[in-house]
Amino acid sequence: MSRSLKNRLFLFFCWGSLGFSVFVLVFLVLTIVWNGFQALSLEFLILPSKSFGAEGGILYQIIGSILLVFTAVLMAFPIALGTAIYKSEYLKNERLQRMSDMLIYGLNGIPSVIFGIFGLIFFVNLLNTGISWFVGSIILGIMILPTLVLTAYQSINSIPHHYRESGLALGMNRWGVITEVLLPMGIQGAFTGLLIGLARAVGETAPIMFIATAFSGAGIPGSLLEPVSSLPTHILALAQNATDPTALQNAWGASLVLITLVGIFSLTALYFRNRYKTMIVR
Amino acid sequence: MFVSVSKAGKNAVITSTIISMAIIVIVFAVIGLQGLQAIPEAGWSLLSRSWNPGQGEYGILSMIYGTTAVTIVALLIAVPVGVLSAIVISELLPSRYRILVKSSLEVLAGIPSIIYGLLGVAVLSVLIGNLFDLSTGRTILAGGIILAIMILPIIITLTEDALQNVPSRYREAAKVLGLYNYEVMKDTILPIAKSDIIGGILLGLGRAMGETMAMMLVIGSLDRIPDPFYNILVPGQTITSKLGREIMESAFGSLHFNSMIFMGLLLMAAVFTVTIIAQRNIRFGGRLYE
Repeated sequence: MSRSLKNRLFLFFCWGSLGFSVFVLVFLVLTIVWNGFQALSLEFLILPSKSFGAEGGILYQIIGSILLVFTAVLMAFPIALGTAIYKSEYLKNERLQRMSDMLIYGLNGIPSVIFGIFGLIFFVNLLNTGISWFVGSIILGIMILPTLVLTAYQSINSIPHHYRESGLALGMNRWGVITEVLLPMGIQGAFTGLLIGLARAVGETAPIMFIATAFSGAGIPGSLLEPVSSLPTHILALAQNATDPTALQNAWGASLVLITLVGIFSLTALYFRNRYKTMIVR
Repeated sequence: MFVSVSKAGKNAVITSTIISMAIIVIVFAVIGLQGLQAIPEAGWSLLSRSWNPGQGEYGILSMIYGTTAVTIVALLIAVPVGVLSAIVISELLPSRYRILVKSSLEVLAGIPSIIYGLLGVAVLSVLIGNLFDLSTGRTILAGGIILAIMILPIIITLTEDALQNVPSRYREAAKVLGLYNYEVMKDTILPIAKSDIIGGILLGLGRAMGETMAMMLVIGSLDRIPDPFYNILVPGQTITSKLGREIMESAFGSLHFNSMIFMGLLLMAAVFTVTIIAQRNIRFGGRLYE
């Protein structure tokens, strides 16, 4: 085969692949949006669900999802920020640094269903907490901990050294440099991580389906110890019933709402990240 | 006063580090200890093909087969398509489109897996059922295709990053020699970017093995190794779909429960290994799905 023919074939396959990828991904988004909009109405957003989700709306599921993820982030963010500061500013031991990295990356890679099982064994059975909002948030918090630690660590660690030295030269101690110099500069990056964490947590089903949510019937939880309803588990319940057209339609509607939530968090994260990147360049 | 505040601050960050590390160790330990209890109870019978809680049979081979099969199907589709797409985005597309393409890919990678599951059950499995004239489209093939679509954005973005990391002087040197695009890629860029690309593929592999929701809905949930084993047009069962469907039906601490945790442990160990190897190859870049 001549060189130019090989080249043409190669280019053909490359562009073909890209065309295929774009087609599949666009088809996917259009399917969700098209089907979702047909299910969407004001009543759908503001009414509680009836008869196992086949009728009514998804108000409680939206509220439940938001409660779950914000509680998760509230618990995980301070711990993650502290860990990131320690790793970046205090921990100088090369081996400990590598070991903690391995643990964090390892935790990041664990399949989400394993977190659900961990919660089931550790909280629901060993600590006897029951199925609750609180346990769900703890598990989601654990799941997004690596993301939060890594983004916060990167944004703090990438601040050029002369900022630290200038602070020290002004007579600040180490902690002063951290609170007065590094945190104001690095918090935006940490905040990006927080939003990424929210986006991931809100769409997760497997970690919470055994331990936090009631598939139907749960309203707005009165306390942290009650079960909640959430969008992903609601979609799961409806999708298992996919032969019923109304259930399926409501599943599409709930999916569109869920994607919108994920999209809001993701796009805000992207916005912050780009701003933060330009700041460092300046 | 300054010193005491400084001390308190340091103690606070040390405490949170210890908490983070302790959490991670506890997660591994709890799954490990619970799962390993199945071994003395069931022994080698764990490695059989029949899973039948009614008769006390807990062979996990069908699930291991299922996970392997869907992962292989997914990689066979997603790796070539993903790498070739990344080559276009990185090398052939004008650079002003790159940021747009990359951002949309990141957002796509963030679509929750339950929604892929819904797409799989409502669209793809119906399609496959009609196409191959099957009684049900919920098959291993459908599971593999859904997984391929799910990991496609990951593989494209990471490969594209890997290609971008190759300094442009290599491209220029190769082009100056009069090489075609194909030769520039095959002989110059791809060999340099190889380890990063493999890292990206491994991350996709880890993601595919651990995917639960889409598998639960699409795979058809039949604990059987098809005959012949390469017949992927029949329902199957992955470790994750088994866990998702059956864990709540088993009593805590029973052999049934422990056997399932044992499967989870195997899965966790496999994904952990893959992830660690992948992270050696690529650096963390603050992406949305890492």
